[in-house]
Order: sequence, then C-alpha cells, then structure tokens
Amino acid sequence: MDNSVASSRSAEPARSSVGSVVDKLASGLIAVVALVVLLFLTLPILIVIPMSFSSAEALTFPPPGLSLRWYEAFFGDSRWLAAARTSILVAVASSSLAVVLGSAASYSLVRGSWPGRNLVEANLLLPLVVPQVIFALALYMVFARVGILGTLGGLILAHTVLALPYVVLIMSVAIRSFDVRIEQIALSLGSSWPRMFVTIALPNLAPSLAAAWLFAFVISFDEVILTIFLSGVNETTPKRMFNELTLQVNPTITAIATLLIVASAVTIGALAWFAKRGGLAARSIIR
Amino acid sequence: MNANIEAPDSRQAASLWRRLPAMSGGVPQILPAFIVIFLVFNIPIASMLGRSLLPLDEPFANYQELFSRTVYLKVIWNTFFIAIVTTIICCLLGYPLCYWMWKLSGRWRLIVVALVALTFWVSILVRAYAWIVILGNDGIVNQLILAVGLTTVPVPFMYNRLGVVIGTTNVLLPFLILPLFAAMMRLDKRLLLAAESLGASKNEIFWKIFFPLTMPALLAGGILIFILTLGFFITPAILGGGRVPMVANMMDLLINRLPKWELAAAIASVLLAITMCCFFLYQRLNSRL
Repeated sequence: MDNSVASSRSAEPARSSVGSVVDKLASGLIAVVALVVLLFLTLPILIVIPMSFSSAEALTFPPPGLSLRWYEAFFGDSRWLAAARTSILVAVASSSLAVVLGSAASYSLVRGSWPGRNLVEANLLLPLVVPQVIFALALYMVFARVGILGTLGGLILAHTVLALPYVVLIMSVAIRSFDVRIEQIALSLGSSWPRMFVTIALPNLAPSLAAAWLFAFVISFDEVILTIFLSGVNETTPKRMFNELTLQVNPTITAIATLLIVASAVTIGALAWFAKRGGLAARSIIR
Repeated sequence: MNANIEAPDSRQAASLWRRLPAMSGGVPQILPAFIVIFLVFNIPIASMLGRSLLPLDEPFANYQELFSRTVYLKVIWNTFFIAIVTTIICCLLGYPLCYWMWKLSGRWRLIVVALVALTFWVSILVRAYAWIVILGNDGIVNQLILAVGLTTVPVPFMYNRLGVVIGTTNVLLPFLILPLFAAMMRLDKRLLLAAESLGASKNEIFWKIFFPLTMPALLAGGILIFILTLGFFITPAILGGGRVPMVANMMDLLINRLPKWELAAAIASVLLAITMCCFFLYQRLNSRL
C-alpha cells in the first residue's frame, strides 16, 4: 500500500510536466481558433466601414482612394431619403404602440391574479418563436381579405406584434424587480390606481421603458421579411437595400451600412446605460 | 350601505372606476395587448392553417402535392441540409470561442462580449452585402487567390450552398454564443476547484466536468440555430442568388409570383409544425439548465 502511494507520488511531477506542455498547447490552439472565429464574426463590419469611404465605383478592397461620394449619393437621393423617413415613421409608431400595450400587459402578468396567465404570456411571446416568413404569409392572406395589404397602418400593426414579445420580456423583469410593497403603500394611503401608476410606478420603470422602446424600435427598423410581404409599394430602408442587393451591387449601401453600424453601437451603449440606470433606480428604492 | 348600492352617486362611481384596475387583478391592463395579438397573430396563423386544407372536399390535396412533386421535395431537402450543416458548424465554432471567453480576464471578456453583441445588432442585410464583397467573383478572397496564383479562374464561393452556409453561420453564430457563454458563466466554479484539488488533470476536468455540464446549453443553442435556419429568407435570397432556394424563398415565390396560396399555406403549416416540435425540445433542455 505504502509503496504504491509513494510510487504514484513520484510519478506525479513527470506526468504534470508533460501534461502542462500539452495543456499549454491546447489552450494556445483554443485561443487561435477563438480569434479566427471572432475575426469571422466581425469581418463584415471591418470590411464595410472602410469601403463606404472608397472613391472607387467597383468593389475593390482596400479602397484605392478616400471620398464621401457614397454618403453624398445616399443623402442626395430622394428615394433613399423617403425610404428612411418611412422606416423611421413605422418604427416610431410600432415601437410606441408595442411599449404601451406590452408594458401594461407585463404589469398584468406580473402583478395580476387572474387565471390562465401562463397561457396568455406564452401567447404573447409566440411571435418570437414562429418563423417570420410564416407570420408574414399568414398576415398577407388576412390583410388581403380585410383590405389593408400595402398600407402603412397594416405594416405598423405587424411590426407592433413582432416587437411586443421583446417589450413583455424586458418589462416583466423590470416590474418583477420593483418592490410591490411601494405600490401597496401608495394604494393603502388612498391613491387611486391610475395616480399610483403615473406618480410611483412609471418614474421608477422609466429607464426600462426607454430600453424596451429602443429595442422595439430597432426590431422594427431592421425588419425586412414582413415588410417585403406587406408593404406593397411603400419602401423602407431595409426593403430597398434588399431589392438593390438582389439586383446589383450598389456601393451606396456601404454608406447606409456604416450609418446603421454606428447607430447599432450607439444603441447598445444607450441600452447598457438604461439597464444600469434601471438597476440603480431599483436599488435606491430598496434602500 | 344598501342605499349606496342601489343609487351610487357619481363620486362613488368615479372612485370605483379609479380603483377598478387594482381591484380586478390586472385584467384591464392585459386586454389591449391580448386583443391585438389575437386579431393580428392568432387569427392569421389559424386561418393560414385552415387555408392549407382547402378545397374542403379534398383537404389533404395540397400536402399530397407538396410531398409527391420532386421540385418541392428538393427544396425541403435543401433546407434541411443547410440547416443541419449550419447547426454543426455553429456548434464547432461557437464552443471554443465561448470557452476562450470564459477563461479571459474581466476586462478583455467584456470587450469580446461587446464585440459579439455588436455583430448581433448589425443588420442582416449589411452582413449579406459584406459577404458579397468578400466572396464574390471579384471579391477580396478571389483577388487574393488570383494574385497568389492558386487558381487562374475565380472560385465560386457565392450563389451556391457554400455561400449560403457561410452567410447564415455568420448571422446566427451570436445566437449560439451569447446563451452558451451565459451558461458557462453560471457554472459553479467550486466544482472545478474541487476536481483540481482532488488531483484531476486539466484535460480530465474539462472532459469529465466542464464539457458534460455545458453540453445541454450547447444542444439548446444548436436547436435554436436549426429552427432559425429553417425559416431563413434574406441570406439565401442574396447569397444564394435564387440558385439555393430554401422553404421560405419558395413560399415567397408561391405567394408573389405564381399565386398558389393554398400550397404556400401547406408548406408554412409543415414548417410551423417542425419548428414547434424543435422549440418544445429546446424548452425541455432549457428548463433542465
């Protein structure tokens, strides 16, 4: 017994020195693979941004010279600008609608006591699971029958339903982390429910509401599939980009892409900031 | 009290109205959202399912046509093939990256997570465009290969399955990475420390503890990628150039070009059924995490 323990102990250093070399090789290999994957993920961003400042007509990389001609092409083209305006209009309308409907619904789902809440919550989250192309097809057939196919109103409704699950997910977490006793105190001190909601709940949920609105805005602004099926002659920025991309290669798209990437980065920053403020607000209340 | 109930004065009615939202247990707050989801989601999906069974005297005719014509079967097979390949590649690429991120120190980890999140947010169209620039016949990769002299004619990376798989993997990889990384962060590190203190080698710790414990998250992520690829539309349309039709593109064709709405509804119903089954599996896996 003693012997075997001793021998295994003496073998330990030798094994671990070989093992550590293997370990180092393995972790080096993992680092290389990981960096290649990371490069693969970020490659589109790394390519598109420099190309948007290219002076060349053709897709040459690296760009032979620098210019702002593709930005000028975007801002000088009334069709692109009209598409951008439509996109913003639809995104603002549908995200606002989604936030109003979704945050009220989240409040009911978190604080409510009615039966069947799980079922209704699952129903509200279902648009997240169903492939967008199926939803687009289903809406196309119903909108055609009702006569709102090709209208902006129909598109706004569709985008609202698409953004609703995200709002419900964000706001449910926010409301759950807001102490219900604070609301109960206000109500027991004689405040009506609407007054409590406006003066107590809303200010505390404001950062999360802003985050949910921003999220819904991006969902709508980026959306292509529903828009292709439902918007008729109306053009949004992504729809026009899609149509251009399937026909020919137009470098104006690199300029729009860069503007969108910058907007995405700003949005992530804003979301992180709102999330932090939301957390801070919740904590300061508890104290 | 009785008098009040029989003839409530206006002030009391108003106060009842003001208290209603609190008293009714939250029903008034859910109603608007539920009505919208019912009218704009439930009814359209249900009527699409119903429409797939038209005409009523031959309810399964559309499904029969779908599964007997080679044109449609080819597209369905193509979709499944691309979904399976994309899922496997995403798992093979995503796991090492997550493991590496997990081992990084706090600040670098934050930077890498932010980078991955940024790609998650960049429009799918922007990324498809970038891949045209990279993979096209006069794209960066082909320019490089031609300059080095590996080939004399450009290699077709695009407008075939390869291009679609590359583009789809690029778009969907963050959907695997972010949840998998979160699952790795949730892992109780004391388990690994315990194994180490009991003399396990790093190799053993990884294969006997770390990998089995993160396997369900990898599987769940894989199923998610599979579902998302099945319904993919944009990337196959742009990087496949119409030569790699997937189910979603065929639905577009059947609706917008040759109006065969009933057949499109049947395809959508099949796709929906498969998606829901996969999602059920995904939920089961996630609830065990």
